[in-house]
Amino acid sequence: MSKPTSPLQSLLPALIVIVILALVPFFGPSNRMLSLAISAGVNIVALYGLSVLFGQTGILSMGHAALVGVGAYVAAILARDAGVGFWVAIPLGGIMAAVAAAVIGIPSLRVSGHHFVIMTFAFGQLLTIVLTNGGDYTGAATGLDLQFPVMVLGNRADDLVPYYFIVVGFVALSAIASWAIINSSYGRTLRAIRENEKLAASLGINVGRHKIGAFVVSGVFAGVSGVLLAYFFRHISPSQFASFPSIYLALMVMIGGPRLLLGPIAGGILVSFLPEVLNLDPVESRILYGVCLIAVILLLPNGLIAGILQGWQALFKSLSGSGDRKAAANSNRPSGASQ
Amino acid sequence: MNAILDIKGLRKQFGGVAALAGVDLSIEEGEILGIVGPNGSGKTTLFNVVTGVYKPTEGSVSWRGRDITNLAAHEISGAGIGYTFQQAMAFPGLPVMENVRIACEHARKSSRPYPWTTPQSLLDFVGLSALADERAGILPFGSLRLLGIALALATRPSLILLDEPAAGLNDRETATLVGLVKQFPEHGISVCVIDHDMKLMQMLCKRLVVLDFGSKIADGPTQAVLNDPKVLEVYLGGAL
Amino acid sequence: MDILIQQLLNGLSIASVITLIAVGVTLIFGLTGIINFAHGEFLMVGSIVTWLAVRAGLGFLPALILAVLAVALMGYVLERGLFRFTLTRPTNGFIVSLGLIVVLQHIVIFFYDPNQKSIPRPLTGVWEVGGVRIASVRVMVILVTIAVVAMTFTMVTRSRYGRALRAAVDDRDTAALMGIPVRRYITGVFVLGSALAGLGGALLIALFPITPFTGGTMVMKGFAVALIGGLGNLTGAVVAGLILGIVEGFSAGYGFSEWTDAYSFGLMILVLLFRPHGLFGGTSGPKMA
Repeated sequence: MSKPTSPLQSLLPALIVIVILALVPFFGPSNRMLSLAISAGVNIVALYGLSVLFGQTGILSMGHAALVGVGAYVAAILARDAGVGFWVAIPLGGIMAAVAAAVIGIPSLRVSGHHFVIMTFAFGQLLTIVLTNGGDYTGAATGLDLQFPVMVLGNRADDLVPYYFIVVGFVALSAIASWAIINSSYGRTLRAIRENEKLAASLGINVGRHKIGAFVVSGVFAGVSGVLLAYFFRHISPSQFASFPSIYLALMVMIGGPRLLLGPIAGGILVSFLPEVLNLDPVESRILYGVCLIAVILLLPNGLIAGILQGWQALFKSLSGSGDRKAAANSNRPSGASQ
Repeated sequence: MNAILDIKGLRKQFGGVAALAGVDLSIEEGEILGIVGPNGSGKTTLFNVVTGVYKPTEGSVSWRGRDITNLAAHEISGAGIGYTFQQAMAFPGLPVMENVRIACEHARKSSRPYPWTTPQSLLDFVGLSALADERAGILPFGSLRLLGIALALATRPSLILLDEPAAGLNDRETATLVGLVKQFPEHGISVCVIDHDMKLMQMLCKRLVVLDFGSKIADGPTQAVLNDPKVLEVYLGGAL
Repeated sequence: MDILIQQLLNGLSIASVITLIAVGVTLIFGLTGIINFAHGEFLMVGSIVTWLAVRAGLGFLPALILAVLAVALMGYVLERGLFRFTLTRPTNGFIVSLGLIVVLQHIVIFFYDPNQKSIPRPLTGVWEVGGVRIASVRVMVILVTIAVVAMTFTMVTRSRYGRALRAAVDDRDTAALMGIPVRRYITGVFVLGSALAGLGGALLIALFPITPFTGGTMVMKGFAVALIGGLGNLTGAVVAGLILGIVEGFSAGYGFSEWTDAYSFGLMILVLLFRPHGLFGGTSGPKMA
């Protein structure tokens, strides 16, 4: 039997990876690579929210992109109507998305299992419709532009390289926040709900309230991601937050592994860069995404990374002979920061 | 003696079927009460109504004078009633230690001295310390039952309801269970056990209640109840 | 008033297609527990096959039959190859179907293109009845739908197959013990539902041009109708489809057309909240063990 790794040890790999990512600009990547990386980073922030919801609490939401959209539209509208810029939009976007999450979550959570997933999907679509029909206020189907610069300490920071650093910073923040949640009593309670709701209730856990809370937390991450997205693409429209983006996010979280601390980073990077590596056009890459989602869900429900780790450990076990009980005890549990 | 749980006129209809047809029952402080009855007699329904899974069609449940009839499941625990389930329940993907830790983190605040306030003390009490880092999902059945007891104890209950705690256990495991449960009253925990196993009931309970078709047909000292001709008829149409 | 009747009729013809989807969905989900959101893409494939067949010179009727068969076959392959692994976990089935949506849509785009495709109207007659122009093709769609739904209804409620099916929903294990080949019935229902979608697709393209994305919007409505009527409840699906068709007709008629899509979502959300078993009661899927 192995002793579980200490909480701090589980944060280390993620921090190392983030530091490495932060050094990428010094290797002279192309603009396209950097753009892809920023885009991946923006998604990763949202993914940390989804992994609190799905990985820790076991609630699958197929409307996460809609919450990202709330953050993005808040940013754009605030800039346009209130002259409010990036740094104020970030918390406000997070809060508004959290409120939207509560609005969706409270009714949705009265409904069981698969009905719930359908509800989240439906709400996502509903939001898209509302945005499309919002006339001039929301820019309707064409969407909104965002003109504001991003300023850091008096200097413009929205060129690729500075913005990349900002995004990496938020990824780091998300990872740390996620880690803090996972290792707290709150995280344990969420896991209890994921593992056995009835039992959790019998121990005094208010399951309903915690589920809504998890939803709201996921909303905060999504909202921040939306603001980052809006200031990067400089133009947002409802289609960016409709069904495919939600499916895309679900895919990323599943491929990376919903319960691993590195999961969102792995999933975000893999899924964003795969078409580049394979030189696929947008249509081909979407077909690939769809197929991967199906494959991962059927074959590797713990995520691709966890699946690889398990495969690795199984291989190790068979190579080192049958006597290794330690490997046997670990063979069902990916090592590291998995919870 | 003090009645801490008082059930009056409890009725539960499911459509046309009365799973509970007006049951009056009370649990005295410090006792170990047994509830038995053939399948379908309403034992588990009774359990489910008290623990907040169902709302009764009629009747009330009071706990230390307070009406808890309509409380939700998580509030029952907060009120001081702990319970274990018929199917041994745990958090399968989490290590045993974490299972217990979660339960401890949600224990109700209680000022009375309580011997099992830490996860380790609970694991030691039920004898699962050696398995602390194993995932609960791979535990053998007997150990799972013990884990369930540990979890219920962690919440610092004043009353524990055990629904068929010995189902699936062999004689040795049952004896271990009895040994544990017998210690509860000394620590201020009253017990109510629902089971089929008459030997278990004889070992554990001083008082026995028998249900049949949702009604109480006997209530008294264990041996007397087991010799009651009405009870014998209901069970096997003959001697036990 | 004329405009209203006009729009009502239009609404009803679209509602027919949606009802076909809803009936397929309600049968499939109600009786097998599979939540296939790609059902709309099945519809779309039906439309595409029809389009291809007509383009290759076939008449509408043979094209329609081809579409039904093609989609039924696709349903068979997908059920055996994919969905049967998700029977015990419907949420997984739902996610698989989302992946399938993406794959199906983009395969079509890959081979053809994302633009609209249409066929010449199979029936061009237009009747003038008291100031209202009734396109015969719309009437055909409505009539075919009624006929097919009636047949399906009779089969499910009256035939031995239907009874066995409903027994299997109620208690899968007992049904299996009684010799009902549950797995085969599940496949059968899925194929039937798919065939209905294929038919819907053929009828749809007879009415309007379609794009590879048409399936996406229709499926939400189809699911909404099925959920509102109560999953597994055929009559419910039909009545709900009727209601939705009328509502959409009204809204288009009175100028709220941009919001028509929102009605189905909104209504579905409300129903799920307050009457999760649908307005007319349904199953919540077969009892798993």
